[in-house]
Formats: sequence, C-alpha cells, structure tokens
Amino acid sequence: MLKLTGIVGMASDVDLGGTLHDLAHEDRVETIVLDRRDMLRKRLRTVTDKGTDCAIALPRATTLEDGAVLLLEADRAIVIRASVETWLHLKPEDAAAALELGYHAGNLHWRVAFHGSLLAVALEGPRKDYLARLDAFLADGRITLVND
Amino acid sequence: MGSGKTALLERLIPSFTDRGTSLAVITNDLVTREDAERLQRSGLIEPRRVVAVEAGACPHTVIREDPTLNLDAAERLEMRFHPLDLVLLESGGDNLASTFSPELVDYWIFVIDVSGGGDIPRKRGPGVLQADLLVINKADLAPHVGVDLAAMTREARDVRRGRPVIVTNCRTGEAVDDVVDHIVRNVLFDG
Ligand SMILES: Nc1nc2c(ncn2[C@@H]2O[C@H](COP(=O)(O)OP(=O)(O)OP(=O)(O)O)[C@@H](O)[C@H]2O)c(=O)[nH]1
Ligand SMILES: [Mg+2]
Repeated sequence: MLKLTGIVGMASDVDLGGTLHDLAHEDRVETIVLDRRDMLRKRLRTVTDKGTDCAIALPRATTLEDGAVLLLEADRAIVIRASVETWLHLKPEDAAAALELGYHAGNLHWRVAFHGSLLAVALEGPRKDYLARLDAFLADGRITLVND
Repeated sequence: MGSGKTALLERLIPSFTDRGTSLAVITNDLVTREDAERLQRSGLIEPRRVVAVEAGACPHTVIREDPTLNLDAAERLEMRFHPLDLVLLESGGDNLASTFSPELVDYWIFVIDVSGGGDIPRKRGPGVLQADLLVINKADLAPHVGVDLAAMTREARDVRRGRPVIVTNCRTGEAVDDVVDHIVRNVLFDG
C-alpha cells in the first residue's frame, strides 16, 4: 500500500509538465480515475491503472481535481483524472412542464445544468434508473429526450 | 428508521476497542439524545467519547448540505481525545433518500433491514446505490417476514455494481467482523 498524503502539483504546471512528459514516455505515469463523488473525498483506498494499491489521505482543506499529481518520483508519478461525465438532455414541452421538471429534479437531488431551453441531468448511476424516474413525463410528452 | 444502526454501533465499538483503535461516536437524533444516552450507558465506551448532535426537524441537512454541527462535534472530540483513529457517526431519522456529504464522512455505511421489505434494493434509493458499504441487517427475520434474503442480496449486489454488500444479524453479531474488516481496510488503511 502506497500512502499519498497531499497534492504535489498539477499536471498542467509548467515545471511539472516536463518531468511528467518524460515519465510518460517511459510509461511510468500511473493514473487514478475518479468520478465526481470520489473526487470530493479526503480519504480513499483505491488502485491506479497499473494496479498500485493506494491509500489517499488528504488534509481536510485539500480538494482533489482533474490533473492533481499525488506522487512525483524519479521513476514514477501518480496523477488523478476525472472520469468522463455523461448527461441526459431533456426538453420540456412548455413553461409548465419546465417548472414541473425542475421541481422533480430538485426533489431527487439530481445534479443539473441549464442549457438554454434544455435541462441537462448528470448521470451518476445507470441511465435507465434516471429514465424510470422520468417515465410519466416522457409518456405524455411533457418532456422529450434530446440526443447529444 | 430502526434498521439497526445503533445496534451495529454497539457491535462495532467493542471490536474496535479490542483492536486498540482510539474511537469516538457522534449520534444525530432528531430532538432527543436517546441513541447517545443508550451508548453512554452501555458500558462499551467511555461515556465522554459519545456526543449527540441534535438535528432538529431536518436530519438530512446536518449530514449533507450543512454538516457544520457534526464537523464541530468531531473537532471537539479530536481535541479532547487526541489522537483519535476513528469517529463513527450515526445519522438520525434516516430514510432511503438520505446521503452523507463526503465533506463530513470518509466512509459511508447504509443500513437497511430485512423487515423493511425485500424490494428495497430494487427501489434504488441513493443510499442503496452510492454508500460505500450496504449492510442488510436483521438476517434472522427473513423467514418471519417472508423475505427471500438470497434474492434481496443478489439484487442489492446487482444495483450496486460491485460495491460491497454485507448481510448481518446485529442481535448475534453475525458478519459484523466483515464490516469491521471493510472499515479497517478502507478507512484505517490497515491490512
Ligand atoms: N431481530 C433482529 N433485531 C434487530 C437486529 N438489529 C437490531 N435489531 C432490533 O431493531 C430495533 C431497532 O434497532 P436500533 O439499533 O435502535 O435501530 P436504529 O437504526 O438505530 O434506529 P433509529 O436510530 O431510531 O433510526 C431494536 O429493537 C433492535 O434490538 C437484528 O439483527 N435482528
Ligand atoms: Mg439509532
């Protein structure tokens, strides 16, 4: 188990970038892919893409983010990557449907983004679970699914 | 409510004490201090290591949107009993929609019980889906309430897509060791 106790820099930092680039060429950069929820953690047992068992223990005030470098050694680096998010795009039929949908999404504690007249819902679980909650809305056409 | 959270604490406390883990407990009761007092009287733990945070009418807020009260309580415990290895926090007035802020907890165990019905996993509440560990308690009651425990467990594993599920009986302590192992590995980073 490798204990990682802080962020040593960001992959985008100029002075780290070069070193990381060299390590990457030798296939010595390991990544830990985290979803948004896990990104909020301060303490986490996880494995890198190369199978290294890691125990992350950060100070309370430190927050992980995409590109955070947790280890930088002469022959190895470990970098955090955010997993790609998928969203459901919903188009309400009219203002009344939009109000209802907004209330519904809030009730379910869904994470949303507003894209003009569309409501985008972040999928933090199986897509079909979200669709099931929207069944009534979809069935009578109050909302439609927009392909992305 | 009543799935066995305090009963699980009563089982966990002696296990961690035996391991030499320095421990404290926070309970979130609605308006009473019932759970805290029950633990303080239990003789399992030094009473001062148990504190109650009264959640008032809004039990979800103190564990999710605004965990300040709980964070304060944890900090005070840490100051008084430094160094603490582990703080166990019981939420009050839980329901299937409860979630914990990752700001507050490093590890989240969701306790449901067999008598609540075999279809709970199928309802896919956020606790069932997202908790780090799902505990299905009161295994002993399955035959009495007509629940197919094997099917319920299978479904829970299914919807949780690889996240762990443990079936316990907190009356007898069955499988509580497995819960301890998960905490030891994922929180205490031991083993
Ligand atoms: N048969 C059986 N009863 C249990 C088990 N675990 C707990 N109980 C009983 O279930 C009841 C509720 O247990 P608690 O531990 O108080 O439940 P809780 O989740 O803390 O309840 P609240 O804090 O009120 O939400 C008590 O009467 C326990 O004795 C179990 O594994 N089997
Ligand atoms: Mg209780």
